[in-house]
Amino acid sequence: MSLYQLEHLTRAYGRRIVLAIDHLEIEAGRMYALLGPNGAGKTTLLNLLAFLDEPTTGSLRFCGKPVGSDRVERLALRRQVVLVDQHPIMFSTSVAANIEFGLKIRKIDRTARQRAVQAALETVGLERYRAARAHELSGGETQRLALARALALAPTVLLCDEPTASVDTENQAKIAALLRRINTEQGTTIVFTSHDRLQAASLAERTVVLESGRLTATTYENHYACTLDETLVPPRLVLHGQAAIPLTALPAGLQPGQTGRVAIDPTRIRLRTGAPTEATECPGRVVLLMAEGAQIRVTVDIGVLVVVLLDRERYRAQRPAVGDTVSLGFAADALSLAQPSA
Amino acid sequence: MSFFLDSFAAAGRLVWALDPELFTIVRVSLSVSCLATVIAAAGGIPLGFFVAYGRVPGRRAIITLLNTLLALPTVVIGLFVYMFISRRGILGPLDLLYTQQAMVIGQVILIVPLIAALTVAAVSRVDERYRRTAQTLGAGPWQTALVVLREGRFGIAAAVISAFGRVISEIGISMMLGGNIKGFTRTMTTAMALEYDKGAFTLAVALGLVLMAISLGMNVVFNLVQGRAGR
Repeated sequence: MSLYQLEHLTRAYGRRIVLAIDHLEIEAGRMYALLGPNGAGKTTLLNLLAFLDEPTTGSLRFCGKPVGSDRVERLALRRQVVLVDQHPIMFSTSVAANIEFGLKIRKIDRTARQRAVQAALETVGLERYRAARAHELSGGETQRLALARALALAPTVLLCDEPTASVDTENQAKIAALLRRINTEQGTTIVFTSHDRLQAASLAERTVVLESGRLTATTYENHYACTLDETLVPPRLVLHGQAAIPLTALPAGLQPGQTGRVAIDPTRIRLRTGAPTEATECPGRVVLLMAEGAQIRVTVDIGVLVVVLLDRERYRAQRPAVGDTVSLGFAADALSLAQPSA
Repeated sequence: MSFFLDSFAAAGRLVWALDPELFTIVRVSLSVSCLATVIAAAGGIPLGFFVAYGRVPGRRAIITLLNTLLALPTVVIGLFVYMFISRRGILGPLDLLYTQQAMVIGQVILIVPLIAALTVAAVSRVDERYRRTAQTLGAGPWQTALVVLREGRFGIAAAVISAFGRVISEIGISMMLGGNIKGFTRTMTTAMALEYDKGAFTLAVALGLVLMAISLGMNVVFNLVQGRAGR
């Protein structure tokens, strides 16, 4: 079932259009990763999904109903969705009072509030800080408290703006595990933004990629800044200046030295275990394997992370394992230069 | 040097002996200044908060006006209020001149802009994320405003304390509108000026000591409260 439906939606500040989405559906109970470079419109989209902002044009539907501008209606919707900021801010009260805030607003009685606070603190592993001042917590603990503050409200949707961007590795793992638990055990729909493709690949069932405010792909995350290097044979496409993939044909619309953006279809990448034997292959190492419906998602590190989707037959033929060296071949029709909005 | 020390010693004895005249003056000063501060805070805090938090048209012009009013000399306020409440003024029939009420009116006019301007500064400094966080946790417009007000509370309390410090130490308004009537409108500052004119420094120094003690006491209490809440 579609929880959100966005149709021909735009958000503009003055004359500048920062978000323009033709069509996007977000299904209930799933976890989505929202990827894209800085300034791509990720936070703007989260604000719209959290009903903190209104689209300039187009329609936004929630649970099948159009979302209007009526204040009372929007307040009721906001109480079903919680947005956790990248750098969450805590009220200058205790940890418990921070979690209680939303519950008090919803006029939950004291006993139920205390129970919900305790349960939320136990979920994020912060129960011993219950009486502590919220401002005294570390960055990772603050992020977990922000999640607890959201969880206590049992939202239908949890939106997280780069939940692990500003915390240490240990807290990153804790937060990722927590998001997975919330999604699977409570059925909460989660949309999180990230720059970490590996994390997005491992956590989210679906990936939404934004590029200059436009949706460029909803099924994969192979999106890179690229330059063309014609001095080599065969010519190569340099991704993020860190990986060069050999080309069988020159992509149209990209001049040598010019920077563009390329999307690589993960279903059209050839994968073979072992080191490259042909000049048109590129070596890489498998870092992640995941079953995704009828397909296997293989994340390969070639200098940048590339997602390859194999059907089970192709997977069985190669059987790549994590840590294996593999060779990737990029057919001309696998590459498409992204056409972001002006 | 001995004159200086003698004056301080005599002043100390006056305070120690709980001199009735000294304490009448202190009581008048405190009651007038406290009442003026409370009234000004009741008007200035909502005004400042509204200007800083709301989407008020002409916000910049209002802030400029408030900042300009901060520099208004007390004698100018005294003069204007005098023109309104003197026998020939439009409020003449209320017979307010040379009363504590007149002093309160003048002092309120003096510190409303101060409290409002400092409240604007305090509320503007509150991180925008508090508003967004309150909203995403389900707060309505009033609840969101209360969150922002609560987060700016120390800045606002500092504004009120500054305003109190301003009125308890001002002399122009008290002299022009109160008239320095003994036991009725004589405040610490007007009494100090009078004693100075008379060349009798003992009471003046004693009042100066009390004035500084009050100021110190208020700031100590404020810092204690702020420290405890900020821990």
